[in-house]
Amino acid sequence: MPPERSRRPPPLALVESPPSAGQDLGRSQFGSGAEATAKESDWSNLMARAQAGDSGAYRRLLEQVAPYVRSLAVRMSRDPSDVEEAVQDVLLTIHAIRDTYDPRRPFGPWLVAIAHRRIVDWLRRRGRTRSRETAMEPRHETFPARPTNIDEASSDRRALRAAVESLPPAQRQAIKLLKLQQMSLKEAAAVSGTSIASLKVATHRALKGLRRILAGRSEDA
Amino acid sequence: MIATPDLINALAASATPVRRLRPPLTRAAFWLLVAALVVGLLAVSQGIRNDLLERLRDPIFAIAIAATLLTGILATISAFMVSLPDRSRFWPLLPAPAVVLWFSTIGYQCLTDWVHLGPGGIALGETARCFATLALTSLPLSLVLGMMLRHAAPLRPGATALMGSLAVAAITATALSLFHEIDATIMILVWNLGAAALFVALGGLIGPRLLRWAAR
Repeated sequence: MPPERSRRPPPLALVESPPSAGQDLGRSQFGSGAEATAKESDWSNLMARAQAGDSGAYRRLLEQVAPYVRSLAVRMSRDPSDVEEAVQDVLLTIHAIRDTYDPRRPFGPWLVAIAHRRIVDWLRRRGRTRSRETAMEPRHETFPARPTNIDEASSDRRALRAAVESLPPAQRQAIKLLKLQQMSLKEAAAVSGTSIASLKVATHRALKGLRRILAGRSEDA
Repeated sequence: MIATPDLINALAASATPVRRLRPPLTRAAFWLLVAALVVGLLAVSQGIRNDLLERLRDPIFAIAIAATLLTGILATISAFMVSLPDRSRFWPLLPAPAVVLWFSTIGYQCLTDWVHLGPGGIALGETARCFATLALTSLPLSLVLGMMLRHAAPLRPGATALMGSLAVAAITATALSLFHEIDATIMILVWNLGAAALFVALGGLIGPRLLRWAAR
């Protein structure tokens, strides 16, 4: 015969059982000794009256039980909204199966068993949901306007490249070396075999030309 | 998510009187009575097998039928116990010894059947009638037990469903060994434990939603 808790458990059965829940749960709210016993038998009375349809007693019971359940939930989760949802889940469960409470038995084990079971279930479910979710990172962010999300194929970059290609060869080379490849004037002069002064002139003209080409394009558009 | 004080107000406002559940042993006895009634009605309609008295003299058969019945009774008690939040979660161990005895006799029967009947020896007609008995016994019993244990859904759905299905399976097996000559235990177990798995899955899927709906 499997071990069942004795019919008349000691006053602090609340913190002793059930075996999985009671070891580390339930001490803080109950103090010890006579106070805990009084509170528990009080809750037992309230629940008995709630079963008979006394909504005032039921409200008092739930208001007193909620902080206790919260203290159990806080030990298992740090997220305040998780804790509150778990508490509500426990309260709903108590409501749904309040007919299973037998006032001849202590209230504590009944409450702790329900709370423990529902909180553990709730956190497990929460963990499963979270494992399927992916946090948004800055690179996932986007803007609602369409042009911001269009890639290179149809963007300004393509127009700029075309404009650069349409420049005279000396100006094109100057732009490519100095602006696109970001060389210094000295390096560019060495690569292209022209003087620094003529590079400067070519760049100046190229920028002017590009401005003219791109301005014309945007006026067209 | 609504605020917890609002939830408490809503729950208190819907605090209609509830009838307390009777003690688990009383409820188990009630269900076993229903089971006896169903099996009795089947006995009237289908008739007890002709060689029952003769077979009962065979100790293996007698032990098997006793172990099956004992499994049914103990599993019923443990289902009603484990369905309550403040009872030990070790109650499902209660029927274990009877189950071991029952399963060990299945093994023996399978062996002897193999030797005596040979592989093709079971007639389809008998199997079909067996299946009819199986369904007629286990369906109503499962429905009644499911209704009686529905409050366990948010607490220990797995253990309760397993014990309940074991109880139904054992009672069905007892009925079958009274009515039919072939050993259909494996079929019964597949049928009933398959149903248990289904109940557990369904409980996991719709249990919480059902609970929220019920609490509204």
